Formats: sequence, C-alpha cells, structure tokens
Amino acid sequence: MTDMGNDHSFSADELQAAEYALGVLAGAEREAAARRIARERAFAALVAEWEGRLAPWAADIPEIAPPPQVWERITAALPSAPGQHVGFWQSLVFWRSFGMVSALAAACLAVLLYLSMGSQQAALVASIEGEGQRIFVASVDVKHATVTVMPVAYRPDPTRVPELWLIPSGAKPLPLGVLTADRTAQIAIPPALAAQARRDAILAVSLEPPGGSPTGQPTGPVIGSGKLTNL
Amino acid sequence: MDLDRNRKLITAALAAAGRGDRDALQTVYRLTAAKLFAVCMRILGERSEAEDALQEVYMTVWRKAAAFDPALSSPMTWLIAIARNRAIDRLRAHGQNRHMESIEEAVGLADDKPTPDAALQGAQEQAKLQHCIDGLANHERAALRGAFFDGNTYEELAERMKVPLGTMKSWIRRAMIKLKAWLEQ
Repeated sequence: MTDMGNDHSFSADELQAAEYALGVLAGAEREAAARRIARERAFAALVAEWEGRLAPWAADIPEIAPPPQVWERITAALPSAPGQHVGFWQSLVFWRSFGMVSALAAACLAVLLYLSMGSQQAALVASIEGEGQRIFVASVDVKHATVTVMPVAYRPDPTRVPELWLIPSGAKPLPLGVLTADRTAQIAIPPALAAQARRDAILAVSLEPPGGSPTGQPTGPVIGSGKLTNL
Repeated sequence: MDLDRNRKLITAALAAAGRGDRDALQTVYRLTAAKLFAVCMRILGERSEAEDALQEVYMTVWRKAAAFDPALSSPMTWLIAIARNRAIDRLRAHGQNRHMESIEEAVGLADDKPTPDAALQGAQEQAKLQHCIDGLANHERAALRGAFFDGNTYEELAERMKVPLGTMKSWIRRAMIKLKAWLEQ
C-alpha cells in the first residue's frame, strides 16, 4: 500500500461528510453537517458513502441483547402510522366530520373540553391511539392531580380489561388504574406519581386480567398510546 | 446464518415498516437490536443511556423507513449509521464522554481481532476494511478507533493522544484519504 494521502486530496464537502460519518464533529460543526444532510441530496449521498465504508467495522462489536422493556417502550411510543399523526384539534374535527362520535362520546368530549378550559394553565391532553384508531381521549388536570379518560373507539375484550399507564420519558410504565369500555373514568393520580404527569409523558393502555395487572407492569398487549401535550 | 437471506429479510421488513406496519418494525428490531444496542453501549458506556438511545434509534427507523433505499446502502449500514448518530448526539447533548483514558500509540496494535459476523454485510467487505485499517500508521488507526468506537471528537482525541488539535485533524484526514483510496482499489 502506498501513502497516497495528502490534506488536499479531499474536497471540502467530502471532508465534512467523512468527519460527520466518523463522528468527530461536535456542537455547531456537527449541527451544520446534519442540516446539510437534511437539505442537500448530493451531500447526504457523500455521507452515506462514508457510512458504508466504515460500517463493516461494527462487526468487531460483540452483540448485546437489550432488555425486553426497550421494545415495550418503543411500542408504547409509536404513533398510529408514519406521517399520519394529527393534533388533538384536527382529530376532533375528524371525528365529528365523519359522524363517528356517539352522542354520549360527543357529550363527554364537551365535558372534557370544559374541564380543560376551566383550568387552562394546568390542562394536558392525550389522544390514545393504536392500530390507526383513536381509542381513548384523556385529559389531565394537573392542579387536582386527576386524569379523565373517555372511551372513543375502544372495543371491549371478552376476558381482559383496559388499564391506563403513565410512562415518563425514559422510565418504566406507572399504573394509573383500570378503565371501562362504556363510560368516562376519572382517576386520581397517586401523589407519588403526580409530578410525572407532565408534558411529553406518555399515556398508554394495555389489556390486563380483571382487576388490573398483577405485577405492576403491563402484562398484556399495549393497544394504544399517546403523548401528553398542552391543550 | 445465510447472509443474503438476512439482508433480504431486513430490507423487506424495512419496506413494510415504511408503509406503517408495526409487526415489520418488530421484525427489524428482532433481527438487529442486539447489534445496535452493542453499538450504543460501546459509545455511551452506560446501560440506561444506551437503552434510551436504542429506543430513539427505532423511533427514527420507524419515521425514516420509507426513505431507506436498498439500492444506495445495505440495511445494516443504514441502521448502524442511525445507531451511531443517535448515540453520538446523546453523548454530545449530555456532556462527558466516558472514554477519555489516554491512548498510547502502541495500543493501536492491540486491536481486537474482528469476529466474523454474518448478520453484518459481507465478510469480504469486513476483511477488506480490516486490511486497509491494518495498513494505516499506528497513530492513525488509534485515532480512527477512538472516533468510531468511543465516539470521541477531534478535541477529545487530541487530549487522549496528547497532540495538538491541528495534528489530530491532519492525522484523521490523512487516514480517511488513505482508506478511501485503498477501498476503491
């Protein structure tokens, strides 16, 4: 092998792409390269070429099985489908315009909105979705530490009950309580968990044996999830 | 393990995930999570950080799966790049790199021997890259290893190898230029 290298053999673009792919940039330099990848196809292709050159090196790293809760957290955090995530207000319009909200559900939505507006600074909402369906709508009253959950398109399971979980970002699910298929549930958030019920935490619903999960962690499938956002 | 079959499986699962199929994402996860978790662990050096990074990796995969083009890169290359980038972004955002022990040039020689890894792309590509890396000067190889495996920045590498920043930049650049030229031969 001959030493063909000198510092002038790379174009500025090629150098930046190689530096980004290798990972030696930090701060503003790394951000600038990331912005170029998002905007410039030719630059993104240069970076991809470098990633391709270096990736085989990762064969040297022996595999480590991740713990099972990582996949559970991913499932809980997935939106209904890529590019299909809609905001709460749009979703209300959606449900109304398609006439899919029962009279009861519509009344509950109104109550929910009223509750939310009654304590504006402290209201958080989440649209709990799974399989492309909005299953429950939830509203958290931070001041009074309660969560109100209304079934929208939940189809009752013959043997299991829906249970609500609070998942703070990067942490394990915390049990909030069992929901019902046919009416709005109001659940007091235990004082120990109240501080976790904040923006960007996730509410998820899993199917559990009657009475709720025996273990304190979800034991059945997660049928829906949604992030708490400010109304 | 049949290399091509695995590559096809991951490619097909990525395509389905790109159409919104969650089971397909789980297939991608099942086939690749142990490797990507190892990549995150290696860079972040801490289990809970690596778990959070891995979650971000597959959320990114879910969002970007539709944009994956099997004509441009192998699925494992694409996934490893996402894993390294999420881990490095996390490292930069949260501060201290744990890999700051000093690197003696001789350490560059004590490379772990590459373990054959069928889940990754062709053994030939690995062998070729390894051959090229073996051809680098010790200090160049050590610097590249610190960047690739430990997620070190130019500044951190300069500190670890006790050379001025400008020297480190020129080492890395020369090493990258050589690698590219040799890999294209």
